[in-house]
Amino acid sequence: MSTSATDVEQTVIGFLTTIEKLPEAFGPSTSLYAGGAGLDSLETAELSAILEDTHGADPYSAGEMPQTLAEIQAYYAANSA
Amino acid sequence: MTSSPTQQRVVLVTGGSRGLGEGIVQSYLDSGDLVATCARTSTDRVESWSSAPETADRFLFVPADLASVEDAERLVGAVVEKWGRVDVLINNAGVARDGVLPLFSDDDIDTVVDLNIKGMLYVTRLVSRRMLTRRQGSIVNISSIVGRSGYRGLAAYSASKAALDGLTRALSRELGSRGITVNGIAPGYLKTDMSHGLDEAQLGQIVRRTPAGRLGEPADIARACQFLTDPANSYLTGQIIVIDGGLTS
Repeated sequence: MSTSATDVEQTVIGFLTTIEKLPEAFGPSTSLYAGGAGLDSLETAELSAILEDTHGADPYSAGEMPQTLAEIQAYYAANSA
Repeated sequence: MTSSPTQQRVVLVTGGSRGLGEGIVQSYLDSGDLVATCARTSTDRVESWSSAPETADRFLFVPADLASVEDAERLVGAVVEKWGRVDVLINNAGVARDGVLPLFSDDDIDTVVDLNIKGMLYVTRLVSRRMLTRRQGSIVNISSIVGRSGYRGLAAYSASKAALDGLTRALSRELGSRGITVNGIAPGYLKTDMSHGLDEAQLGQIVRRTPAGRLGEPADIARACQFLTDPANSYLTGQIIVIDGGLTS
């Protein structure tokens, strides 16, 4: 799968749906953690692994800690040249 | 008794070219699984597995020094590329340097810590990520009774094996909710290259003090690996099984 914003969004929403943590009004600026989707550390590790499996790399393994979907999309946009 | 897995498992055994690791690789090949292993250099046994008709298409050897994170990534990447997943990880690779600690060199300390602790963490990190996405898997860490009892002249090695037991307990707590079991095996003294640092007198003394009256064989440990990684034993996690012929009982 590509690293386009749409594909990355699909991956993230798919994961949040699978673990039943997709907030009703989820959007690019919704927090992935407390006050938003509420991911804990292990769920974050799962998201990291799924992003890597699906898109070939992931921001967490690169040392970043994105707080929102928009920040994840920004990572791929910045690294897809 | 172990149950028969319904499908071939993908098994990664680190340090499987000789000694205990060789015995573990052979056990999983015997049970029909897909088996990958690594070592810095190949051996006659590895060449045999790679070429024999009954194992060639179920065996993968990757030359690697797991003290290097790049090699660890290359190893796990090769297994996933070939078979798509890792179901079982046996952390067996290890190195011993004997000598009393006050005379140990920096290089000897680095050698033991870099492979026995850091290398094991590199591989386990990579594999556990793969297991998380599938929400299943089994990890077995091969430590040693010297990690519990200590042994004169094996301070650094003993420390590294105690670290492995710590990882077993911590990781079982981290991953248990995701269907991943993490257990350890602490072997006693085996008839392998790793025991060659002990002289005949020391080995004789160990045998005399061992209720079973003998040194261990790699197959003694391999059978326990099979038990701990049997999918039917998913309730067994966070434990370190001592297999030493009763020596430390």
